[in-house]
Order: sequence, then C-alpha cells, then structure tokens
Amino acid sequence: MTDRRPAPQATDKLALLLALVPWLIDNERVGVAAAAEHFGVSVAQIRRAVELIAVSGVPGETNQYQHGDLFDIAWDDFEQNDVIQLTNLVAIDESPRFSAREAAALIAGLQYLSSLPEHADRSAVASLMSKLSRGASAEPSQVAVDQNETDGVLALVGRAVEQGVQLEFDYAGARGQQERRRVDPLRVESQDADWYLRAWDHAREALRTFRVDRITSPALSATPIAHRAADVALPETLFSGSPDDVVVTIEIDAAAAPLLDDWSPVDVEPVAGDRTRLSLRVEQIGTVVRLVAGLPGRACVVAPPAARRAVAEWAGRAAQNYAD
Amino acid sequence: MSTSRAPRIPVEERLFSLVLALLATDVGLTKSEILSTVQGYRQRYDTAGDNVALERQFERDKDDIRELGVPLETLDDPAASGNNQLLRYRIPRGSYELPLDISFSPEETALLTLAAMVWREGTLSGESRRALLKLRSLGGAASVPELEYAPRIRSRDAAFEPLRTALDRGVVVRFDYLKPGDAEPRRRELAPFALVQHQGRWVVAAVEPDTGSRKNFLLSRVVGPVQVTTRPFERPADATAESVLAGLEALRRSNTALVRVVEASDAEVRLSKRRGTEARGDDVLAVHYSDRQVLAEELSSFGPEVTVLEPQGLRDLVVARLRRLAADHAGEAA
Repeated sequence: MTDRRPAPQATDKLALLLALVPWLIDNERVGVAAAAEHFGVSVAQIRRAVELIAVSGVPGETNQYQHGDLFDIAWDDFEQNDVIQLTNLVAIDESPRFSAREAAALIAGLQYLSSLPEHADRSAVASLMSKLSRGASAEPSQVAVDQNETDGVLALVGRAVEQGVQLEFDYAGARGQQERRRVDPLRVESQDADWYLRAWDHAREALRTFRVDRITSPALSATPIAHRAADVALPETLFSGSPDDVVVTIEIDAAAAPLLDDWSPVDVEPVAGDRTRLSLRVEQIGTVVRLVAGLPGRACVVAPPAARRAVAEWAGRAAQNYAD
Repeated sequence: MSTSRAPRIPVEERLFSLVLALLATDVGLTKSEILSTVQGYRQRYDTAGDNVALERQFERDKDDIRELGVPLETLDDPAASGNNQLLRYRIPRGSYELPLDISFSPEETALLTLAAMVWREGTLSGESRRALLKLRSLGGAASVPELEYAPRIRSRDAAFEPLRTALDRGVVVRFDYLKPGDAEPRRRELAPFALVQHQGRWVVAAVEPDTGSRKNFLLSRVVGPVQVTTRPFERPADATAESVLAGLEALRRSNTALVRVVEASDAEVRLSKRRGTEARGDDVLAVHYSDRQVLAEELSSFGPEVTVLEPQGLRDLVVARLRRLAADHAGEAA
C-alpha cells in the first residue's frame, strides 16, 4: 500500500469533528475535560476541534459564509470556564454511520471475543453484529476470526476476581515440572489464538504470565486476593525482562523474522541469504528451545553455545523417538 | 470574518467544510461550485485559470471522506450525460446518518470498545479508533469490568493490507505463493473475497478468475509483494467469510493425527486442550489439524514429549524437521 497514504491525522481529526458535533448537541453544556475523557482524546484536541467547529459552516445563499451559516458557541463560557455550548447549528444533526471497514473491524473483533465466557451469549453478539451492519454506510468487508477454546479456565478467572479470592491451578513451566500455583488474577490477554493470564504469583512473590492452555485443575481458593488490577502497574509487553535473563542470538529467514516481534528483539540485522540475525531475552533456555523448534523459516540459535547444545539435544532426543 | 483569515486552511477544516456543504445541499453542487465557494478551496480558486491542482486535491479529498464511511454521491445531469463538469456532488442525509433506531446499551458499548481494542496493533487500529469515536458520539458510556482484558488480534503478514484493499475494491490480485514442499514459489492470479483468521493464522479465500474454483491461501506463505490490479471482480453471494471459516473448521475436523505424548508433559496438557482433541488410550491423542505443515511445526516444538504415529506423511515431516534442527545446531555456530 504505497499508492496512497492520505494524511491520517487530517482524517482522524475530521472523524472527531463529525462525532463531536452530535454529542455536543445532545449534551448542551459540557466541560472540555469531560468531552476529552468521553472521546478518549486530549483536552487540547477537544479545544482545537471546538475552535474549528465554531468558525465552520456552509457557504450559504450568499456563498460568503455569513454569520448565520456558521456554527457558533458560547465563547465566553468556553474561554473562561472551559465549557462548551453550541449556540448555532449547521448541517449536522446525527452521528455518522460506520464505514464498511470500521464495521468489519468491529464485527471481526466481536467474533473473536465470543471466546470469552462473559460474551459467549451468541444471540446478543449476533444482534450487535447486525446492528453494526445496518449502521454501516456500505456492506462490511468479509473479514472474520474464529473462536478459540478457553475451556472454562477464563470463566473461573472471572469468578475469582468477582468473589475476591485467589485462584489455584497446576502449571508446568517451560522446564516441564508441574507445580501448584496460587495467584491474584490481574489481566487476561491474548494474541490471536493464544490466551494468557497475567497475575501475581504468591509463591514467587512476583508478576507472572501464564499460558491459559497450560493451566490445569483450576480452582477457587479461600484466601482473599491481595493485588487488584488497579493497584499494579503491568508492563506493556507480555514477556518482560529480568536481570537473570539469557540473551540468545537467533538466525531466521527474513520473511519469518516478524514472528519474533513479541520477544522485542534487539540488534536486528540482515545477513547473507535473505536471513535475519537478532537477539532476544528469555527467562530460561528451555523457552528458546521450544520456540526455535516450532518456528518456520529455519530458525537457528547462533549463541550462546549452551542454547545451541540444548536445541541439538532436544531435537536429537525427539528424533530418537522415531529410531525404529 | 472569512475575508480576514490567513490563506493556509488546515486540511481537516477543508474536509469538514466539504462535508458540511455537501450535506446541506439537496440538488448537489458541481465541482466548480465546490471549488469556488467551499472553505479551503475557494481561497485557492482561480476564476481565470484552469485549477488543475485544486481539482486533483478535490479528488483526493473525496477519497479521504469516503474512507471515513461518508457516502459521497454523484448525480449525472440527464440533459448532459457524461459531462464531467456538470456532475453534481452531494451527501444524502439518510445514508450519512446512523439510523435513529440504532443505539447501544452500556454493556454493548463496553463490548464494542473491547472489540475495537482487539485491533490496537496493526493496520486496523486506525479504523477501530475512528469507529470508537462514532460510538462515543452516540453518548453511551461503557461499563467498566473488574478484571482487565487486553485481547489482541494481529495482522503482521505483509500481504494483509494489500489483500484487504483488494477485498474492499473488489479487484483481482497477483502474488507469488510458496506451497510447502515446493522448491520455488508460483505466481497466482486471484480474486480475493474474504480474509479470515483460523487457529491464529490469516487465510485469504479467493476465486481463480479463469476457472471459478475457490481456494484458500495462508498469508504467511505469500512471498514478496502483493500486486493489486484494477481488474474488477464481483464476489459471489455465497462466498462469505463465515462460509470460509466453516469450511476450514470442517477440514480441520476431517484431518486427524495420532500422537503419543509423555504423561503430564506440556505437550499432553496443551494438545489435550486443542479444540476437538480426543484421548485414544493412556498416552495417545487424536489431534485435528487443517494444515499438515503447520501441525508439524507445532508438534516439533514439543520435542521428545511427542511422537507422531500417523499419518505417515506428517510423521515424515516431523522427523525431517527434527533431524535438520539437530544438524543445524551441531557443534559451534558457523
């Protein structure tokens, strides 16, 4: 898509203008800060938008943008009290329709969310999808996402938070040994078909990320939750580094390199044969062994030697399974 | 006040003024009426000149406005059909405004907010952000859940965006596709009709324009750039994203692999949880899959925890993969 990149900022600003006007009409008198919070934009963006609306309008009968052809606001209230009140309206009454692409994005997002236990009500989701289709200015494009199995674990996570009790489950880390964990659930995250629970791990006294499909025998405990999502600053990336991390250098076909983006690779550089060399941090070598063994694009550990040996040993032992 | 204004009008002001002017007219405005009267154009309009640059600007602005879902309509003058200069432009209010009977409850608003968040990374993020603005425009606030959710769908394949463009425009594309097992990619010419994510992987469903047959392609196997042509193609009514997902799921159900797993291993836990997996005896699982190569990669990641029993083709793939992996990692790095 290099043929045309419309100034995205201008169209985003236009979208805000077209959304803001009907809301201001409905709300009559509203603070700048409240508007910013409602639309999830900055106070400065709202102020600029209102200033622009206030001087905009239609050419009118004279083609001269006469006073009555323009929006107007209560300027004193706006400038002195940061309050917005439209005093003259032009052309716009109602909220705009969704574009076909916007509706398609929301519809596909909804399908995906049906994997979550609280959104499993198919008829509610279906009615919402049909509203989006009807509310779009053209037929939404054909984009869809399938649902994933989360087999009740997430439902129990939700109940734990609701009842304010810690969640227990069996979990095998990349080293393989199963252990009973007790956690305060903080956030459910996903990346495509993979679901993760981010939680405070009481045994480790630290934040941990758990793969939902590695959790077995989950149960509610009787112990109250000690940490809530609002009290804990979760790092943005799922896999955050710690001082004990191992730095591993990997070579992979350039086309497959983006598959490693979640690991926040550093020192990314092209090497001969359309390959990419990059380094990433892992908590333990076992993690990178499984990662490399499953990646397309002939992923190969370059360093450290211990990680290379671990992959060779892992793959060699696996190949032994077939030596018959 | 307009006469005292500085000649540099911000882009969003020009676009906003264009939308307002076209919403306010029933009969429509001709291009020269727009360029000579609407804020942002009129300042640059030359009554004596040819205004070519300004006309090009107007063409781009029309595209930008349509991208936002604003239905910009052209009306042909019946008395002078085909005369571009007499085309009239307008935005019909009925197709611009969200129908009044559409409203969203706080729960629905919360769900839609989450649905938009799903796309916070990648090319659909701009669209979901704008969709959220429109949703907020209706006034409803979202209810706040106690447990935080941060679901995310990604669209990192380079082919995703051009294919979506082709989908929206209803045109044929060309790309090179590397089938597993083939040494060289092959050139394909296809009419894409749906993009679906199945089991975490993006698939484009397309019609071969010459034969009419429908095929699915994994985006990760598209090699090099996707060429978006201007050759139009009409999507058959039954060619929907839903039907593609249903087809892929049926295919997945019909393919079964038998694997032996080590008890209490990561492999046993995770493979057991895959949709439709059945236990066959103490340590054997029947696992479903839609693509043999993809499953071979997944199974290899479990290393010695898994042994493929059948089908033979999958077994061969995994063995070859493991041997190459061991060989690639033998000794010091090259």
